[in-house]
Amino acid sequence: MFKEIFGFELRQQLKSPLFWMIAFAFGAIAFAAATSDSVQIGGGVGNTHRNAPLVVLQWLIAFTLIGMFLITVFVAGAALRDFEAGTAELFFATPLSRKAYLGGRFTAGYVTAAAVMVFVALGLTLGAHMPWVDPARLGPTEMHTYVYIFGVFVLPNLFFVAALLFLLATVTRSLLSTYIGVIAFFVLWQVAVISVGNLQHLTLGALIDPFGFGAIDLATRYWSIEDRNTRLPELTGLLLANRAIWVAVAAAMIVATMALFRPDREGLKLWRRRAKLTAAAAATVRASPVPAVELRIDAAARWAQFLKQARFDTRGVLTGVAYLVIVGFGLVNLGASLGFGNEIAGTKAYPVTHLMIEAMQGSYNFLLIIIVGFYAGELVWRERSAHISEMTDAYSLPDWIPLCSKLVAIAAVIVLFLAAGAIECMGYQLIRGYTHLEPGLYLSYLGLNAFGFLLIAALAIFLQVIANNKFFGYLLIVLFLVSRIALGQLDFDHHLYDYGSAPGTPYSDMNGYGHFLAAHLWFRSYWTCFALFLLVLAALYWPRGTALEWKERSRVARQRFRIPARTLAAASLLGFAGIGAWIFYNTNIINHYVPRDLAKQRQADYEKHYRQYKDLPQPRIAEVKVDVDMYPSSRRVDVRGHYVLINKTAAPISDLHMLLPTDIKLISAQFAPHDIVSDDALQGYTIYRLKQPLAPGASMDFDFVVQYFSRGFRNTPNDTAVVANGTFFNNFSFPHFGYNEGNQLVDRNDRRKYGLGPVPRMAKIDDQAARKNNLICCDSDWVNFEATVSTEADQIALAPGYLEREWSDHGRHYFHYKMDKPILGFFSFQSARYQVKRDKWNDVSIEVYYDAKHPYNVDRMIDAMKKSLAHYSEAYAPFQFTQMRILEFPDYASFAQSFANTVPYSESIGFIADLRDPDDIDYVFYVTAHEVAHQWWAHQVIGANVQGVTMLDETFAQYSSLMLQEREYGVAQMRKFLKFELDRYLRGRGGELVEEMPLALNENQDYIHYRKGSVVMYALKDYIGEDVVDRTLARYDREKAFQQPPYTITTEFLDDLRQEADPRWRPLIDDLFTKITVFDNRVTEASAKKRADGKYDVTLKVHAQKTYADGQGKTTAAKIDTPIEIGVFARAADGKEAHQKILHLEKHAVEDGDSTITVTVDSEPYEAGIDPYNKLIDRVSDDNRMKITVK
Amino acid sequence: MLQIRKLSKTYGNGVKALKDVSLDIPNGMFGLLGPNGAGKSTLMRTIATLQDPDTGTIRLNNLDVLGDKQAARRQLGYLPQEFGVYPKITAETMLDHFAVLKGVTARGERKNLVEALLQQVNLWDVRKRKLGTFSGGMRQRFGIAQALIGSPKLIIVDEPTAGLDPEERNRFLNLLAEIGENVVVILSTHIVEDVTDLCPRMAIIALGQVLLSGEPGEAMRALDGRVWRRAVPTAAIDDYKKRFTVLSTRLVAGKSIVHVLGDGKPEEGFEGVAPDLEDVYFGQLRHQAANAAAPASASAGPSATAA
Repeated sequence: MFKEIFGFELRQQLKSPLFWMIAFAFGAIAFAAATSDSVQIGGGVGNTHRNAPLVVLQWLIAFTLIGMFLITVFVAGAALRDFEAGTAELFFATPLSRKAYLGGRFTAGYVTAAAVMVFVALGLTLGAHMPWVDPARLGPTEMHTYVYIFGVFVLPNLFFVAALLFLLATVTRSLLSTYIGVIAFFVLWQVAVISVGNLQHLTLGALIDPFGFGAIDLATRYWSIEDRNTRLPELTGLLLANRAIWVAVAAAMIVATMALFRPDREGLKLWRRRAKLTAAAAATVRASPVPAVELRIDAAARWAQFLKQARFDTRGVLTGVAYLVIVGFGLVNLGASLGFGNEIAGTKAYPVTHLMIEAMQGSYNFLLIIIVGFYAGELVWRERSAHISEMTDAYSLPDWIPLCSKLVAIAAVIVLFLAAGAIECMGYQLIRGYTHLEPGLYLSYLGLNAFGFLLIAALAIFLQVIANNKFFGYLLIVLFLVSRIALGQLDFDHHLYDYGSAPGTPYSDMNGYGHFLAAHLWFRSYWTCFALFLLVLAALYWPRGTALEWKERSRVARQRFRIPARTLAAASLLGFAGIGAWIFYNTNIINHYVPRDLAKQRQADYEKHYRQYKDLPQPRIAEVKVDVDMYPSSRRVDVRGHYVLINKTAAPISDLHMLLPTDIKLISAQFAPHDIVSDDALQGYTIYRLKQPLAPGASMDFDFVVQYFSRGFRNTPNDTAVVANGTFFNNFSFPHFGYNEGNQLVDRNDRRKYGLGPVPRMAKIDDQAARKNNLICCDSDWVNFEATVSTEADQIALAPGYLEREWSDHGRHYFHYKMDKPILGFFSFQSARYQVKRDKWNDVSIEVYYDAKHPYNVDRMIDAMKKSLAHYSEAYAPFQFTQMRILEFPDYASFAQSFANTVPYSESIGFIADLRDPDDIDYVFYVTAHEVAHQWWAHQVIGANVQGVTMLDETFAQYSSLMLQEREYGVAQMRKFLKFELDRYLRGRGGELVEEMPLALNENQDYIHYRKGSVVMYALKDYIGEDVVDRTLARYDREKAFQQPPYTITTEFLDDLRQEADPRWRPLIDDLFTKITVFDNRVTEASAKKRADGKYDVTLKVHAQKTYADGQGKTTAAKIDTPIEIGVFARAADGKEAHQKILHLEKHAVEDGDSTITVTVDSEPYEAGIDPYNKLIDRVSDDNRMKITVK
Repeated sequence: MLQIRKLSKTYGNGVKALKDVSLDIPNGMFGLLGPNGAGKSTLMRTIATLQDPDTGTIRLNNLDVLGDKQAARRQLGYLPQEFGVYPKITAETMLDHFAVLKGVTARGERKNLVEALLQQVNLWDVRKRKLGTFSGGMRQRFGIAQALIGSPKLIIVDEPTAGLDPEERNRFLNLLAEIGENVVVILSTHIVEDVTDLCPRMAIIALGQVLLSGEPGEAMRALDGRVWRRAVPTAAIDDYKKRFTVLSTRLVAGKSIVHVLGDGKPEEGFEGVAPDLEDVYFGQLRHQAANAAAPASASAGPSATAA
């Protein structure tokens, strides 16, 4: 019987065009993902093969996830078929067993869903073997990879999904409720994923994720490229547990389905209401004259009808369980995102309103796409599904009334959805004790958001009407969404042809919506016109009566195309064209629209044409004097500058190669008599030939006038340097000399695509010629700097240097800054409406310029600056300036950057950190200390622009800041911080695109110079002593500060270090700085025995292993030649690890592999560990500690 | 007065639903009789402006129904053969909603109207009940209530009595009779008795063609003396069908009674009976079947269905 049911159902499924449609669509997407970079669902980045097993795995799981929404149709369809077709009673009147019936239907649905995945796998394999796919990016395709992935991931995942859907469909007997169930599940799953983002919950996250993403992520988190290309996560440990749990859950759901299934007409009712018995209606027909009424068709009546229908439709949606459930789940998801989001190193930001709104955009609003898409279908076909349209279609109701009512209902749904989210956010703000609510901001932002979704709604309604079938309509909407993504991926990113799109409106507390708003609104108006046109079409084709054939519908549409429709259509098209032209004028005529691929092409051309001049001798800038006039509200800056250029080479220089960013206009350049050899406006590269070559040692004046003026608006208005409040730019907007390697394409695949050679690497450490340039700039060394900056009357303008004079003239505010000693050729210019807080440390004045809305951490910054100045001056060298400043800038970027005596600091990374909990990592202190440290490690000692250079500024700044942090917040917080750093380093390795380098040879690799740098320097200090490290740094500073070329390199520092440190640490220094050393240390057993004298003998079985890795992650075993710390800890009163008392903490000589270590402690031990503070780089840091079993 | 002229409709799948249909329908109840699939619903929907014919015109008291659908809809009350309700909404709310959509936008006026209609169709006592709990007859009465909104000049009811129990059916037909005095009421049905009981005029339609139109009495008179009846063994029915034009067979107390059409007494044992409308109806169908090619007759079906 099972076989018969199964076979019947399977035939039904495979005969359905829907199956083939979905199967081919999925296969095609998979094919596209595998063969081009344009469609990306996970996928191979960098050196990972396009078809690496791990990539294939991620793809296939992603498809099981996306597929859930469509696969629902198969499984739920199988469960609901008989109830929908009304054949249920025929089936259940037969002696068919429940098991056979449900089992057969379920298995057939499941097999169908699995068949779709086979198409996906075929698409992936086929795609990878297309002739245009770069074979260098492919590994072998192996059958057993697919078999393993299907067996361990795809089939169990589908089993789970299918069981869930089957249960939902059987219990609810409604496709709608099943869909809600899917959404609910999806949201819950998201919550799980978000919680995985937090290091503390990795294990839990790995277990509670039914798709196994978490478990896979945990297993492959630190995989090297080599691993990624050859391995798949083994079915052991957490992954095995995860699979077992979820297959069991799925099986349980099947059992539950069997138990809950009711073949009767009512289905399962969770609560049975007793039907009220009404008295039989009186049989007599009462004679009651029906009053004559007038059927009105005037405008007022139409309006009343519209309102009534709109209210009716809106209420229909809002009172549906479906909507309430979606909102509910959205709110849960949002809550999770609010709870876990906006953390830096585990510390939360204040819940300022724009962060709340960003959280909504990230984790809540996406549901609106589903809601809008879904309800467009439901509402358009509402009368039809309920079989009411046969009646109402015969009423003399104009076609626009139902159409507009549906639109209004969707609008109401959108608005209420967003309002619910906003209320939750405000509640969250209040719970966090943040009372500066900004309802106006919510209103404006949500208004903008709602509008975008309304445009989608208009399109969805149009597509439904045109499709004339709910499911076909849904398919069209999905196609639209997919094509939208694909267009973006293919670099077709102009909003003029991407329906409903507009540039984003990032909000900054400092600058509000800034210039983004105008661009946004223009595009929105443009698409509104088009949406209006679509709605006119929808009204013309509005389904009425039983006309089903296209020909007939067109005839009806022509009949309906009368004056009102014509007028509206013409007006909307006219508006569309008119606004479109205005937009085109703004984005493509007065501004340049450069699609991504063209931008890359230009970068490639730049390299092809000009790299030949890379080593061409150029004069160097020795003096800079500029007048910078900022006009923030018109987004314009005029610069009049004066350089003194010196020929520091031994030969005369005749050619001057001047670079200027393409969005900067050169008004004039005046210098010694010259000819223009070439002027490449597209690349901003001009070659001048001096009539009289500049002799060695000679200098020349170079005067220039440049202008930045942002007129109108752009397609992508991400030019955030000059804005109404919070202007921040640097001297890269001024003329520079000589080829700039920084402009080159660096992505390996892009380079191949545009015919460039391998990725240009940083100059080797032994490249003596390259030592003529420092890290910062390639056309200057130490320069004298002076600037007069002016801005609007209510703003303060800033540049490096000391304020000489401040005055007002013609309603503008002027400042004259001058530096009393030469500084690096790197200057910032800022202007905003600032609050200023001043303080002093010894003779150094300290200033923080901040926005009135962000006073929270200003005192902390000042405190951190004072402590930094005090510690660094004492430990390393005196502070070279008499003033230190922090200046806030808008959160269009989130970094802080150290210029001479000046630190621009983004509003998003410190000003709004919520540091009220003393246990949290105080990253404001950390960032401030780091930036101040750069006044030494960059602005005193700057390395040559060769391998390892960033160790000399970033790593040292990290170290300086860490030492200060440890003094301020203690060892426990240090461990917490270093754990974050270690994790980010290990993950960074896995994503390496080129080659991982040892710290002292790193090629400006973030995850090495910051993350590994912190861990390495802390370990160094721990082994050789802080005094020795500081002594070495002080000596190095003494030797190299303010050095002229050739600049210093890391080997010079390491030489100093080897001299200062005890010789026994030389192997350690090599391991830390010149090798990639990875440990695998763990405790395998920890026990303790109480002795007669009350002390405890603690016995630890430990495993220790040291390996060296090459740049691609291949490892070789090495011998452990440095002692490793062993710690024993007592239980803290509050149970927190940070508060544990140390009973024993010493470095022990540890053998390679397994060994046993015994130590004696005075009181009852609780936990013990090898390298318990994670001072060494360890692939798995969580297994270094273990709870002790006291015998 | 509703004039239908030369209405034809062929569906995309080739089915000819209407073939050159012309009818004159005066005020009062008009029965449209035909077997399932005869084209009744197509004709009804076409008159109700829900579907356009390929050719032909419909005029209602000088109004071109197909040319000005909106105007026609204002004079129209339509009860479709199958219709649904929002199950969670009460009868009163739903009817009020329909009244607005039809154009009764003045609140007070609408309230009176809804009350009166609910009373007229005898749903007043259950006005607060959700439509999902209504029986078939109550739903039909609700349907007719919505059709009556705005005193339509033309009321179309498509197979309204199918599935009603005898009492409900009676009640419903009474209601129709009451309404159908001053306006055109088209009652489509395959139940002959509905027409017999109610309609002063009628038409028989099958395979998209009008076979007969006029007064039932007249039609019956035309068969005077030509309808014969006999009780026969059930096993012999097929034999009778071969030999005579059998109009209908029905079981009466376990015996099969056949009605046969014939100019004279077909054979011994038959007795003459006064023709009823059913005889007319089946007579027309048999006639059409006989004229058409043999396979086409299958759809007309030889067996009679008695209510």
